[in-house]
Amino acid sequence: MSHTRLTMKNRYLVGGPITPLLISELMTLGNDDSGSGAVSIFIGKVRADEIEGKRVTAIEYSAYEEMAGKEADEIVKTVRNAYSDVRSVLIVHSMGVVRAGEASLFIMVTSGRRDQATRACRHTLEMVKEKMPVWKKELF
Amino acid sequence: MGTEVMVLFFGKAEVAAGSKEELFTAEDTAELRRMLLRKYPALAGIPFRMALNKTLLKEESALKKNDIIAILPPFQGG
Repeated sequence: MSHTRLTMKNRYLVGGPITPLLISELMTLGNDDSGSGAVSIFIGKVRADEIEGKRVTAIEYSAYEEMAGKEADEIVKTVRNAYSDVRSVLIVHSMGVVRAGEASLFIMVTSGRRDQATRACRHTLEMVKEKMPVWKKELF
Repeated sequence: MGTEVMVLFFGKAEVAAGSKEELFTAEDTAELRRMLLRKYPALAGIPFRMALNKTLLKEESALKKNDIIAILPPFQGG
């Protein structure tokens, strides 16, 4: 996990894109949980939208980092309380510049069986969008 | 009178205020809100919410020493 430790700004925010290498490392978290039989993952990516005739090439993310950490703590707690079969909830959001096509959000939920993993992953995603103080600036 | 508090600006509010942080002296969040809009009229175009010490304000609140107020435009994570 050395790569993960080096790049994480805190337990929820990472500088730059969420790389395939980071994703593969995050996916090994919980491998030692023998009761976990389902893993649901959501990966959000930067779209190359066209805005007023200009193509987005990247997004620069910023956050109120201390509040984002507090809100993410609350989201994890809420999801774990709402889904009894859920065994872990992981949220990682990018800060700084993420180019179009790269990943900027990673959510992973593990549970004993598949049903709650998928539902809790979606629930986590919706709460991240609603509650985490993160902003973006399109770069062209 | 009033209490000096630190105000943090994020996202488009940072652009409107032209800085990341600034000290203001106000009795409560309602007075602070009025001061902010008077000083930075561009904030009126942003449907911002305020957080007091990292918690979203649900109603106006008195201010005390060392409080931190954050000006939060609509969240855009994901």
